[in-house]
Amino acid sequence: MDDRIELLQGTLDMLILRTLRAGAQHGHGIGVAIRASSREVLQVEHGSLYPALHRLRKEGLIEGEWRLSENKQRARYYRLTAKGRKKLQAEESRWRRMVEAIGLVMRPV
Amino acid sequence: MRFWQWRRSREDRELAEELQFHLAEETRLRTGRGQEPEAAHRSALRDFGNLTRTQEMAREAWAWSALERLSQDLRFSIRMLRKSPAFAALAVTALALGIGATTGVYSVVNSVLLRRLPFPHADRLVVVWETQPPTGKPNVVQTGNFLVWRERNRSFERIAATESLPVNLETGGDAVQIRGLRVTAGFFEILGTPPLLGRIIRKEDDVAGAPAVAVLSYGFWQRQFGGSDQALGRHVIVQGRACEVIGVMPPDFRLPTQPGIDLYAPMQIYPRAAELDGRNYFVVARLRPSLSLRDADAEMRRIAAQTAKERPTLNTGWSATVTPLLEQTVGETRPALLVVMGTAALVLLIACANVANLLLLRAAGRRREMNVRAALGAGRWRLVHQLLTESTLLAVAGGLLGFLLAYWGVPAILRILPAGFPLPRREEIAVDRAALGFTAVVSLACGLLFGLFPAWQIDRARLQEGLRAGGRHGTAGNRRVRNVLVIAEVGLAMLLVIGAGLMVHSFVLLRHVDPGFRADHLVSFRMLLMASAPDLPQLRARRALLAREMIDGVRTLPGVRSAGSIHLLPLSGGNSGSWYSRADRPAPPPAQGGGDVSLISDGYFRTMGIPILAGREFDEHDQAGTPSVAVINQTLARRVYPGEDPIGKRMRVTWDRTDEVEIVGVAADIHHNGLRTAPDPCLFLPNAQRSTGAFALVVRTDGSPAITEAVRRRIRQVNPSQGIWEIQNMEDVVAADTAEPALETSVISIFGFLALVLACFGIYAVVSHSVEQRVREMGIRLALGAAPGAVLRQVLGEGLLLAGSGIAAGCIAALALTRYLTSLLYAVQPTDPPVYLAVALILTTATLAGCYFPARRATRVDPAMALREE
Repeated sequence: MDDRIELLQGTLDMLILRTLRAGAQHGHGIGVAIRASSREVLQVEHGSLYPALHRLRKEGLIEGEWRLSENKQRARYYRLTAKGRKKLQAEESRWRRMVEAIGLVMRPV
Repeated sequence: MRFWQWRRSREDRELAEELQFHLAEETRLRTGRGQEPEAAHRSALRDFGNLTRTQEMAREAWAWSALERLSQDLRFSIRMLRKSPAFAALAVTALALGIGATTGVYSVVNSVLLRRLPFPHADRLVVVWETQPPTGKPNVVQTGNFLVWRERNRSFERIAATESLPVNLETGGDAVQIRGLRVTAGFFEILGTPPLLGRIIRKEDDVAGAPAVAVLSYGFWQRQFGGSDQALGRHVIVQGRACEVIGVMPPDFRLPTQPGIDLYAPMQIYPRAAELDGRNYFVVARLRPSLSLRDADAEMRRIAAQTAKERPTLNTGWSATVTPLLEQTVGETRPALLVVMGTAALVLLIACANVANLLLLRAAGRRREMNVRAALGAGRWRLVHQLLTESTLLAVAGGLLGFLLAYWGVPAILRILPAGFPLPRREEIAVDRAALGFTAVVSLACGLLFGLFPAWQIDRARLQEGLRAGGRHGTAGNRRVRNVLVIAEVGLAMLLVIGAGLMVHSFVLLRHVDPGFRADHLVSFRMLLMASAPDLPQLRARRALLAREMIDGVRTLPGVRSAGSIHLLPLSGGNSGSWYSRADRPAPPPAQGGGDVSLISDGYFRTMGIPILAGREFDEHDQAGTPSVAVINQTLARRVYPGEDPIGKRMRVTWDRTDEVEIVGVAADIHHNGLRTAPDPCLFLPNAQRSTGAFALVVRTDGSPAITEAVRRRIRQVNPSQGIWEIQNMEDVVAADTAEPALETSVISIFGFLALVLACFGIYAVVSHSVEQRVREMGIRLALGAAPGAVLRQVLGEGLLLAGSGIAAGCIAALALTRYLTSLLYAVQPTDPPVYLAVALILTTATLAGCYFPARRATRVDPAMALREE
């Protein structure tokens, strides 16, 4: 628990979009995927995940669709829209530049 | 509404389902890791945290949320207000009164003071005056000077002179008198209003000897010609002379300084009049577009300096000045209107403080509700939003009612004002869209203003503290704000009631001013004498004869005690003036000496009930051929003959001609020029020896109402073409002189009374709330043997402390602010101590009454009940 990091402000949207690039996924799945691909470091609060999903849906970056899950339960699956894909690209390059820049500032003296 | 509600609920269902699915997945995940299904579900639920909150937040991501939140809050507010109808009714009533008062006064201020005059480019319309030495006061313009101005000025597109013209109109067997205006060519172009029918007065109409023509007002055209197009080219008999009707003006056309004009005729200045005439002209002009008022004023002063050099006997010391027409129209009304507006705004402020206090008291009572809602996840902003929605709802309801109040009230008040009431642009006053906009802005501002007080009290830390404190109502902070509000309310009420008190005191003094004559059973008939003769001396003789015949004819009527005449009726707008001085001393320079002159008949003083202090009044022996005589009033006697007996002394008088008159009597002073002004020196000359066209018959009757008609018939018998301009009871004339202060006093008193009631109610609410909160404390004290009297005193003391602070604050404010009332006060200083004392006493008594009932309740607390209550 203790080595988990809270998400940086504003990065959740990007992570959701990135996760959805692999294919449609429901909310719970997105949370699990982020946690898994960050090797259990990043913990997504449900309290922010669902509001974020709704916001992204409202902005037209993702769209939702009700399907049956692997366990035959009704679940809402989200997938990227074309607009979302473009947004993700922009966010990724922005992120990369930021990481480089921060890396430069924080390099060992 | 339906659509998004439906969509809303679908969204909600889906969101719930989504979150349920999430929990199920999480439970499955945890079970897979080896947890017991039951424990896995519980831990998943625990880790998920506040499910409702998540739902709320996800929901807020949607755009219609704000709208929906508003509708939700609105529905909730209405529900809350319906649950406490007394509170809602009080708050809405207080606001409706405050907003109604401000809206009503604003509609008058806007229509009269702020709105442009209803002419194209009205900001360029000005009035040009001469200014008299040594005061520099504006004065009407001399004919020759006007002609010079018209010729030399470069500041005005056009400049025109006007002079009021009483019109005697003969219409098939009956004669009427109306108000006319003689105007020089260009007058209509200056105002810029085109005629409804026909044409306006042109240059060729305005030369001496041109055919007589007339332009009619819309109202007169309707009355006289039934609104027929055939009126053009017909003739009206004006002063015995046929005038061709050439045009009709539209319904709302009027020169704002001279409303009620029914007929416009060309001035037709005779060339010699430029030299012979006195100062008579009211001059209007239209500024050239590029010029400022100051430019025009400077140029007119330059031209006046030239005329002073060219014609020194007439113009030495005189100058000229330019005033905007709007300022000329409303300038004198502005101070009173602004004071009334300020008063109304203060009433509104008190109403707001009152409602803020009520809301605070309610907020204290709803602390628990707020705490619970906060604990259930309502954000602070959400609670503030809710409270502001409630207060705005109250304000809007109050605003709507207030607007209706103004919408019906203002026209109702305007209708009961007497005809001659000195309110300019009265016809333009309307509670219109501008007023509605004002109401809307004021209501919303009020809603925010008093809604912020309770909203301000919502503070997350305090809320939690509040929850811990259980149900205890109210905190110290809240009470402090309430006390400050009540003190402010009482202070403002004190200020307003002092204002009202000063007005009432002044008005009472004014009503006790003795006009100097006995107004009861006295009827006046004002008219322009209709006499025609080939030359001036014969005209004068004819006028004197006509007056004689009318007075003698009326005196013989049954029911008439006595009759007389004066050329300009007292208290009816001015007097004539001329130069006169002691004949036994060298004549003073023209700028000094002289004063009012009245031409009267024999028996005038007796009829009016004015005492003769020395000598005699005129009698039937003072005729055209007999020695010239005069009566002077007390003030003139005191000024010109201090310590001497004026009887038998001679004065040099200019009227028609300059000659000497012998003083035969001294009459007591009357307030000829208004009850508020001290009597001016006045010289009375006999009608039979001097002459003018203005004539007012005064008749003392035995009170039978039929006399008016009998007098009218008798006048027609004497001269069939003689119309009567106005018939008035002198009691009405005296009342009309105080109509303006009467209205100001009643409006400000009503506002003061409202303020007083609101403030008392404010104190009552706060003290009674404080008593309710301390029921338990009172119970314990009573149980421990405290005397009910002591409890009563304590509660009263608390209320009195609030009232006292407010009264002190109000006194200070009043000392600083009531000087703005000075122009409305008669013989009362704005710091009049008796008024301050009386008002402080009234307010203390009223607030004591406000405290007394809750205090009484405190002494009746049943200790056992009180202790069990919580």
